[in-house]
Amino acid sequence: MSENILIELKGLTKRYGYGDTESFALHDFDLTIKRGEFIMIMGPSGCGKTTLLNIIGLLDRSTYGEYYLNGENVAGISSRRQSKLRAKKIGFIFQNFNLIEGLPVIENVALPLVYTGYGHTRRLKTASTILKRFHMNTREYYYPYQLSGGQQQRVAIARAIVGNPEIILADEPTGNLDSRSSHTVMEILKSIHEEGNTIIMVTHNPSLIPYATRVIRMLDGHIDTDIKTVADNQLPQPIEERASHRNKKKPDVTLPKKPNKKRKKNRRKK
Amino acid sequence: MALLFRTHLKLARTAIKENRTRSFLTCLGIAIGVASIILILSLTGSISRLITTEIGEMGANLIVVRPSTKKDTMTSIIEELTSYNSFEKSNLTTDDVAAISRINGITSAAPIAISTNTVSTDKNTLPSVTILGTNTDFLNVEPLTLRYGTFLSNDTSVGVGHTVVLGHTLSLALFNTVSSTIGKTITIMGEKFMVIGVLDEVNQSITFDNIDYDNTLIMDIGSLGHITGSTQIQQINAKAENTDSLPQLATDIQNALTNQKLGDQNFSVTYGDQITHPASSLFVIVSSVLTLVAGISLVVGGIGVMNIMLVSVSERNHEIGVRKAVGATSRAILAQFLLEALILSFFGGVLGLILGYALAFLISVITPFAPYISWQIVVATFLTTIIVGVIFGIYPAIKAASKNPIDSLKHYR
Repeated sequence: MSENILIELKGLTKRYGYGDTESFALHDFDLTIKRGEFIMIMGPSGCGKTTLLNIIGLLDRSTYGEYYLNGENVAGISSRRQSKLRAKKIGFIFQNFNLIEGLPVIENVALPLVYTGYGHTRRLKTASTILKRFHMNTREYYYPYQLSGGQQQRVAIARAIVGNPEIILADEPTGNLDSRSSHTVMEILKSIHEEGNTIIMVTHNPSLIPYATRVIRMLDGHIDTDIKTVADNQLPQPIEERASHRNKKKPDVTLPKKPNKKRKKNRRKK
Repeated sequence: MALLFRTHLKLARTAIKENRTRSFLTCLGIAIGVASIILILSLTGSISRLITTEIGEMGANLIVVRPSTKKDTMTSIIEELTSYNSFEKSNLTTDDVAAISRINGITSAAPIAISTNTVSTDKNTLPSVTILGTNTDFLNVEPLTLRYGTFLSNDTSVGVGHTVVLGHTLSLALFNTVSSTIGKTITIMGEKFMVIGVLDEVNQSITFDNIDYDNTLIMDIGSLGHITGSTQIQQINAKAENTDSLPQLATDIQNALTNQKLGDQNFSVTYGDQITHPASSLFVIVSSVLTLVAGISLVVGGIGVMNIMLVSVSERNHEIGVRKAVGATSRAILAQFLLEALILSFFGGVLGLILGYALAFLISVITPFAPYISWQIVVATFLTTIIVGVIFGIYPAIKAASKNPIDSLKHYR
C-alpha cells in the first residue's frame, strides 16, 4: 500500500520568533497520511493544529523538515509552484467560511477554477453542478451575506471540492455553526469522504469523532495520540484508483469525476 | 493567460462599478491632467500650424539667413529670454545681402534690421516704435501688400534715404488716418522722413519674422544705420526662383557668406519648415512649460489612482487571502490590481480627451484658435495614461501580490 501514501511529513519544524521569543508551533513532526483517510486533528489551542494545516495546504512553509506530496518534496518549492499545487490539489474549508462578499455564490464556488484555466461558462457550469448536489442550486445568485451560516459553509465546501482536489483541509468547519447545521456539514463531508477523498480536519468538538477514520491528538507541536479507527485497506478509494489497483498499472492517478476529463481536454487545447 | 486576463477585466469592472463615486473621482483626477495637456497641445498645435500656413502662403521658396553663434540650444534659449533682442550681436552686413542677391537662382534678398526709436509728427510723439530697416526688395520676399502709396524705391524725388512706409495701426496712431498719410513728414532723431506708403492690415500678430507689421515703420537700411549709428541685420530673407533648388541654394548661400566672412560660420541658413523654429522658440518654451505644469496635474491624478488602489488593496485584503488560498499566484493577484489601476487611468484618459477638446473648442469660439487634433496627440495621450497607470498602479499591485494569505485570512471582520 506504500504507493497509496498521499502525504508524508518528516521532521517538520515550524519556529516563530528568534532567541528569547523563540517558540515552536511544530517540533520535529512526523506524519504519514494515506489516500482516503478522514483525519481529525484535536488538541488545545496553540498546539500547532492550524499551523500544520497551513503547511499541508502550502499556505505556509516549515522552518525545517520535509513534506512529500504524492512522493514529491514540496517543502522548498517556489511560491508560484505552491499556488499552482494549491489550485489543483488542495481545497480549503475555513471556520469563518471565507467567501468573497462581493461575489455571488456561484462565482465564489467557481473561484478556484479561475486559476486552473477554465473558461467562464465552464466554470459556472461546474460550480452549478456542485451546488445542485448540496441543494444550493436555488441560491446561485445570492450573495454570501444573504445566506445562513450553514448555507455559507456548504458554499465553502462546494468551493473546496470544485477543482477536484486530492486533499481537503478543514479548519474547524463547524466552529461557527449551530448543531443542526454542523450535522448537515458533517454529513456532506462524510459523503465527500466516501467518494474517496482525503480529508484533514481540525476540530475542538469531540462529538464529531465518529466521522473520522483516524484521530490525532496534538500537544505542544507533537503528536500525543494517533488512533486509527478504520483499517488502511478499508479506506474508501477513488473509483479510478481502485481500478488501477486491479490493473496494477497507472499507480498515480488523481481523483475521478467529470471535471477531471474536462481539465485534461483543456490541457490538450493549450 | 488570455482567459485569466478576461477574468481580471471582468473583476476590475465589478470592482470599479462597486465603488462608482470613488472610481469616478479618481478618473476625474487623471482626466483633468489629460484635459489640460490636450488643451495646451491642441492650442499650441493650432498656433504653430498658423505659422506654417503663413510660410505656405508666401510660397515655400524662401531662404532665411540668421546670425547664429554655435551655442547649444539651452544657452540660446536663455539668451533669447533675457536679452532685449536675441540678434543684437549680429554680424550680417549689407554686403552679405548683396552677395546673396548675386547668387544665381535668388530673385531677391532683403535684410531685416530692427531698432526702436521715438517717432514724432507735428502733433504726436510715439515712444518705442519698431523701426525696420530693409531694402527695396523687401515686398518681394514678404507676404505684405501696400494699401496706399508706394514702397521704398530708388527713384523717388527725395531718394530712398528719406522715405518711410508705415504699418496700418502705426499710421492710425501717428496721424489718426490711413488714407491721407502719404506725403506727410515724421521726425526720428531730428531727421525728417516722408511717408510714401501705408501697409495693408496684416491681422496676424504672430509671424515667422517675430515682427508685428501693423505697428512697424519701414525705412531704408542705410538711413536706419545713419540715424542709429550702426545697423544690426537680424535676418536676411531671400527668395528662390523655385522650390526644388532650395537645398542647393542654401548651400550656395552658405558658401558665399563663408567666403565673404573669411571662414566665419556665425550665421545659419534655413528654409522650409525650419524657418519657424527660431521665431517660435519663445513660444515653444512657454508651451512646454505649460505642458509641464499640466503634466504635474497628471502626476497628481496618478497619485490619486495610487491612493485609491492602496485603499482598495487594504479593503480587499480578505479577498486577496481567499484568492491565494484557492490557488491564485502572486502574479495573478498583481495582474488583477494592475489592470484595475490601468482601467481607471485609461478611462481617465478618455474622459480627459473629451474634456480637453471640449474646452479647446470652447476657447476657439472666443479666440481665433482652431483646436488642432492630430492622431499623434491622441496616441501620445493614451500612452501617457497607460504609463501613468502602470507607474502608479504597480506599487499597490505589488503590495497586494505580496500579502501573506494566512494573515489576510485572519483579518476578517
